[in-house]
Amino acid sequence: MALLEIHGLIKDFGGLRANDDISITMERGELVGLIGPNGAGKTTLFNCVSGLHPVTSGRVMFDGQDITDLKAHEVARLGLARTFQVYVASGDLNVEENVMVGCFMRTRSPSRARARANEILKDLNLHDVSEFRVSELTVAAQKRVTMATALGSDPKLLLLDEVAAGLNPSEIEEIMADIRHVHEDMGVTVMLIEHVMELVMKVSDRVIVLDSGKKIAEGDPETIVEDPRVIKAYLGERYVREHGGDIG
Amino acid sequence: MDILISSLFAGLLIGMVLALVALGLNIIFGVMEIVNFAHGEFLMVGMYTGLFTAQATGMEPLLTLPVAAVVGFLLGIICYYGFIKFLIRGPMVAQLLGTFGLMLFLRNIALLIFGSEDRALHHGILVDKSFDMGMGVIVPATKLTAAGLSVVAFVAVWLLMNRTKIGKALTATALNAQGARYMGIPTERMNALAWGIGGGSVTIAGALIVNFWSVNPFMGLLFTMIAFAIVALGGFGSVPGAFFAGLVVGLITEIPGIWDFFTYTFNFDWMNNVPMTSLKYMWVYLAYFVIVVVRPRGLFGWKQ
Amino acid sequence: METIKNALDFSDSPRIDLTIAGLVALFLLVFPIFPHSAFAMATMIQFLMFSLYGMGWNTIGGYGGQVDLGKAQYVGIGAYTTAVMLIRWDVPFWISMPIGMCFAVIWSFIIGYPLFRLKGHYFAIATIATTLVLKDIFEVWDFVGAARGLEISPIKYIPPDFLRLIFKQDVYYYYVILGFFFLGILYVNWFRRSRLGFQLRSIKDNEDVAQSLGINVHWAKVKTYAIATAFVSLVGSFHACYIKNIEPEDTMSLDLSILIALMAMLGGAGSLWGPIIGAGILIPCKSYLKEWLGAQVGLVGIDLIIYAGIIMVISAFEPRGIWGIVEKVRRRKRS
Repeated sequence: MALLEIHGLIKDFGGLRANDDISITMERGELVGLIGPNGAGKTTLFNCVSGLHPVTSGRVMFDGQDITDLKAHEVARLGLARTFQVYVASGDLNVEENVMVGCFMRTRSPSRARARANEILKDLNLHDVSEFRVSELTVAAQKRVTMATALGSDPKLLLLDEVAAGLNPSEIEEIMADIRHVHEDMGVTVMLIEHVMELVMKVSDRVIVLDSGKKIAEGDPETIVEDPRVIKAYLGERYVREHGGDIG
Repeated sequence: MDILISSLFAGLLIGMVLALVALGLNIIFGVMEIVNFAHGEFLMVGMYTGLFTAQATGMEPLLTLPVAAVVGFLLGIICYYGFIKFLIRGPMVAQLLGTFGLMLFLRNIALLIFGSEDRALHHGILVDKSFDMGMGVIVPATKLTAAGLSVVAFVAVWLLMNRTKIGKALTATALNAQGARYMGIPTERMNALAWGIGGGSVTIAGALIVNFWSVNPFMGLLFTMIAFAIVALGGFGSVPGAFFAGLVVGLITEIPGIWDFFTYTFNFDWMNNVPMTSLKYMWVYLAYFVIVVVRPRGLFGWKQ
Repeated sequence: METIKNALDFSDSPRIDLTIAGLVALFLLVFPIFPHSAFAMATMIQFLMFSLYGMGWNTIGGYGGQVDLGKAQYVGIGAYTTAVMLIRWDVPFWISMPIGMCFAVIWSFIIGYPLFRLKGHYFAIATIATTLVLKDIFEVWDFVGAARGLEISPIKYIPPDFLRLIFKQDVYYYYVILGFFFLGILYVNWFRRSRLGFQLRSIKDNEDVAQSLGINVHWAKVKTYAIATAFVSLVGSFHACYIKNIEPEDTMSLDLSILIALMAMLGGAGSLWGPIIGAGILIPCKSYLKEWLGAQVGLVGIDLIIYAGIIMVISAFEPRGIWGIVEKVRRRKRS
């Protein structure tokens, strides 16, 4: 049985169709990249799957359970965690406490939550900054903290929304290592939205491409980069006509 | 039957005045999303202005309206530049408490200057005159005139907001302050203007109300709450909404009269035992609660 | 066991804070020994009461960021429950106080459940509206004395009556409320690092993120609102026995609701010591202003004008309160 099954998901905002008949299946242990140009509906898809937005039609199954109509916190409790694209914790919680909020999903005891949070922070090499406020960190560290917070809830599936956006190459290397670690050593199934192609292509087992709300391609990274539909979506019709499918 | 029609009529008339009271609050909220707890105190300032201008000069009370409008406009502008400008940079809790501080400030200044007693107007061409509307409905001339002039003022402000360049700049600021700033609209001045117009319209209402209602330093809160109810019902930011909601809330304040009608008509003893007149304004508060819970956008609202 | 340990654990506060807190606690314990005026004693009791009100407000308003301007209704429910039960059925304080808390909490669920669907201003004004509705009802309700209010006549009892909390000397009231004050601090100290406390702080930060971490945002707010309510209602019950004369006007007014919120905001909302600092400054200011200026002939209201001026200046220029300044200075020192 697949871990996540999305069947014909449609999401309308007023007259705008943000997700149009999207179907995706993810097996346990996969690492899937979700790419597409701006406005393709990637984040909307995350919001629908994680229960923040009600879907217009379609069904979402997670771990054998229909989660389409569940609220976001109920979905989270079943083991589907996610991070947010633009989010800087501005409040008075420090890094350790932020991660503890995630850990509190599985325990009531503050001391157990703290212990678990420290494990995760050590795992992701963040224990040096555990006393800092999130807003005092670099963007890269902030992104890793949001990942650590989501991991605090011991998820089966982790949806990562642009964790590498705005980072420099060495930071991208770092976060790539983190993602691999989460996926391989911690055994979490991961789906990531990413604009940084290098990262997606290197870490993903499989890549799914959205454009204008539709799923236009799906396959392993090597075939996706050569798929003319994908190239067209990213570079425009004219570019493809002039250069053929050959962009490497 | 007379009581019922009288009550409904009185409710509609007072509703028109209340709509004008709420209009200022609505404009201010629409443009800069700040709730002004001192709104009722602005009304009180208008009432005192009307009262003392008329008494000091012996002028016909209706002629004091322009004076009240100018005072209210200036008060709004001063409050904005002297206080609100700094307040809006803070979190919401500070904004709410800050305008509450302004309310206490104005209230107690009035107390210091005028004392706590009720004051009322006793002269003017309208005093002690009334119209027989037929079917046994007699309406005091003061209320009728106040209602009529309120509608005029309301329409004038509405035209100002919709038909003039300045009004359009205000609306643009309300819809998207940042966008408006990029378009070259001086949003800071627009905010001040919203406070000016808001203050001016409510003091006009005050100068009208003082013709049939006595004024004391503590009456502001009631009108603030009534204005909140109207704005919530009409929809935060909607001008036509405020008018219809004003009528509805006016009718709500007449629930005791309507209650009396049913008490007499059906002769229910238990209905007599309910101290309806004392609960007159409870219905307004209750209405606010029900409105925001059931329909937070209000009847005509576009902002949520 | 862990709960008690956590409540007593202040180790995350800097040593200097704990030293000051310890000295203040010591002062509060021995204060009645020093010669003092009755007025000073009354002010101290007010300070302790308002600290507790502020701590209650701080759970939902400070840690949770929900601007609640309707706390006075729960003061009223607590005060009236205790007063009615004592006068009509001679029920002692220690029984009527928890019953009052139950009533208050039930009422808080009834209005909190729909109210927390609202956000921001809508929520704040709606809390005021419910308070005014309740106040209007109490003003016409004969069973609770309508607008005249209720009076607990001390003659019927033999003070000091520890069961009914009827005393002649204020010092007894002082120690009772001081006990509640210390318990309140311990409770908030536990609360802020409990699961609910963390969840609430996360909600204040970002509700979407909070939901995605499995937090039932609506329910967490309703629960915390009930906790805040219980605090306030307890002090309301105490108020009834201490003041002995309660009216809707002074137990359920908007002014009281605002004062409660102000306490926490002035000191620093969302911090453990904030409400206490706020009450420690504002209550003496308010009482002494009233004492010195309020009764001056020809200057009626001048104390409230100054008081209003203080509110305006704080909210415009230092909305994070005194604790906010302390933290800012500390962070600057560290970096």
